[in-house]
Amino acid sequence: MAEKRTGEMDRRKALRNLGILTSGIVLLPSCDFSKEKVSLVLNKLSITTSQEELMKELVATILPEGEISGAVSLMVQDFVWIMVDDCLDPALQESYLTGLSNFKKDFKNVEGKSFDSLDMDKRAKVLGLIEASKENAAEKINEDFLSFIEITKEFAILGYMQSEYMMTEIMPYPLIPGTYGTCETIDPNKRININA
Amino acid sequence: MPDLNSDHMEENKFDVIVIGSGMSGGWAAKEFCEKGLTTLVLERGREVKHNVNYPTTNMNPWEFKHRGRIPADIQIENPIASRCYVFKEDAEHFVVKDKEHPYVQEKPFDWIKGYQTGGKSLLWARQTQRMSDYDFEGPARDGFAVDWPIRYKDLDYWYSYVEKFVGIAGDKDGLDVLPDGEFLPAMGLNCMEEHFKESTSKNYDDRHVISGRCAHITENRDIFIQQGRSQCQYRNLCQRGCPFGGYFSSNSSTLPWAMKTGNLTMAHNSVVHSIIYDEEKEKATGVMVIDALTKETKAYYASTIFVNAGALNTNLILLNSKSNRFPDGLGNDNGLLGKYVAFHNYRAYVLAEHEGLMDKHTTGREPTNAYMPRFRNVKEQETDFLRGYAVTINAKRQILQNNSGFGEALKNGLLNPTYGPWKISAHMMGETIPKEESRVSLHKTKVDDWGIPLLNINIDYDNNDEKMIEDFFEQFTEMFEKSGYKNIITHDSKQAPGLDIHEMGGARMGNDPKTSILNKWNQLHSCKNVYVTDGACMTSTATQNPSLTYMAITARACDHAIRHFKKK
Repeated sequence: MAEKRTGEMDRRKALRNLGILTSGIVLLPSCDFSKEKVSLVLNKLSITTSQEELMKELVATILPEGEISGAVSLMVQDFVWIMVDDCLDPALQESYLTGLSNFKKDFKNVEGKSFDSLDMDKRAKVLGLIEASKENAAEKINEDFLSFIEITKEFAILGYMQSEYMMTEIMPYPLIPGTYGTCETIDPNKRININA
Repeated sequence: MPDLNSDHMEENKFDVIVIGSGMSGGWAAKEFCEKGLTTLVLERGREVKHNVNYPTTNMNPWEFKHRGRIPADIQIENPIASRCYVFKEDAEHFVVKDKEHPYVQEKPFDWIKGYQTGGKSLLWARQTQRMSDYDFEGPARDGFAVDWPIRYKDLDYWYSYVEKFVGIAGDKDGLDVLPDGEFLPAMGLNCMEEHFKESTSKNYDDRHVISGRCAHITENRDIFIQQGRSQCQYRNLCQRGCPFGGYFSSNSSTLPWAMKTGNLTMAHNSVVHSIIYDEEKEKATGVMVIDALTKETKAYYASTIFVNAGALNTNLILLNSKSNRFPDGLGNDNGLLGKYVAFHNYRAYVLAEHEGLMDKHTTGREPTNAYMPRFRNVKEQETDFLRGYAVTINAKRQILQNNSGFGEALKNGLLNPTYGPWKISAHMMGETIPKEESRVSLHKTKVDDWGIPLLNINIDYDNNDEKMIEDFFEQFTEMFEKSGYKNIITHDSKQAPGLDIHEMGGARMGNDPKTSILNKWNQLHSCKNVYVTDGACMTSTATQNPSLTYMAITARACDHAIRHFKKK
């Protein structure tokens, strides 16, 4: 019995090292061995390694690493895929996937330079300009391109702000507040906790 | 066909059968079991045991795969359920999916259902305001529906009786329009709600802002300890089922209480087909049930039957209980069964902001709200519409998060939110007038998975409702302006009836068997061993959230039935 248990523990440890047990998202080699794909297993979508890579870079650009963790170290990119897979209605999902496929081409059309050639700060600036140009009726930006950027950003923010890290270490969420404070005085020196 | 073999009758025989385990059915079970009567509760849904079958109750936000959102394919399959505010990732398993029990919308109506132990009592919004004589006398004074056969004095004792067991937080406000009850400490108003209360009371004599009375335990008492319930922890996650039993549900309170007596039998997955009427005995003798899963038919027998299936399903069961004596449904001699259905008009709300109290905020999550009882047409008719509305009021300090930009700028914006002004919202709960044309009926050909006719629902707003919305907008705009609120926005959601989840009537109480279905004890006029004590019995809707009244009416009717048992 004891031996068997150790064996089980080793297996679990090995799986954990692979990140399989911890994330709840299973990374498995795709059946298509002709390309070296390691993709998320999603319900509907099948995505490629290069799309996964692009998503990771975009999420890193949207919410970069720093003293407070960024989105990629919290695996927010995987959350974005899950939301795109499950929670977009079919028309929006189609538009999103078109935007995803053409992202690098469209980016170059708008910016003149390729996404890959820019550093993260520059990428963030360009994305900011694209987002702002939505308000400017004169400039006509490809809708799929825009919705891809906007939806990715929306889900990245959601996954980031509602990550375990954010909701335990930065802005703790009390599952059991215990009391209702009807009229508390604000401490202006404290970071506002949106979850308190 | 029904198996009426007398051998089977013995093992399926009880003193009382209660159809439905929700808010009122749970009370019937408790009352009868406590008094030593063997009681069968029929529940069409699956078993949900308190603290055992609450799968999401202790989950943190990040543990939900979609952070609370409902996947697109589920939304597309469930347009009706998706419009209900509790249909989120944490509680969607307690809401009936659209295809599970379809119905026919002759006019748009969102019928929200909870088929499980406890029914919708797991999911309710827990507001518990008493009705007053201004409500019970309303139909007679204003000439609509029929006169209620009871008055406040008939229910006063039973309101207290129920409140002491349920646990109601509230203040003794001393208002004749909203009688006081047996209260635990109120949850209280926050400082902006307090501000609105003070300025409103300066500007108006008849408009009162109070702490909404709600079914939450705010102080430990022996009666709650006996039920295994403890104080509300301000999680405001009630719809998941509460591990503390902090709010009242059949699951946490009445049903386990009844079970402890040894007199309760619960039958789940039991879809009631009809009530069996014995023409010789001239009374109902039992209930015909179809197993939700196996579709097998089974009869249960009892000398008293309580129908607590939820207002519209109660109508459906009675309409489908046909016999030679009652070809149009049990107790339906006058053809009014299924008619005069009404609801609460929840379409309208007003939002505003206030720039005061800038150094204050709230902490924790409040599971209730401030409340303004009806002030229109209370003592006399004063507007061009009948009746009026109560209002729930919520104030909350706004937190502004800057979501613009990408990269460091965005991260900074998200991590360093700022306080905005206080926001206040006022939500109307309008009384609607029961009308003959507002009705439910059985579809002539379409049936559900169990061979039971689908329910046709034909209910709509009318001109009185539209005028009331206009008045609410005017009055609240004025009240907010006078209290110094800015950016006042009025909004009409145009939502269909039903989404209020306060459907009532169809088997109304009344004095006259010619114009009503139930008498003052909630017995069918023409079949007195059948009682209806859920929302179907309501003669008019008043403006109060109705569950407390259903519970009080049920306890009162049980007492009547028990006294009848004793006489035998």
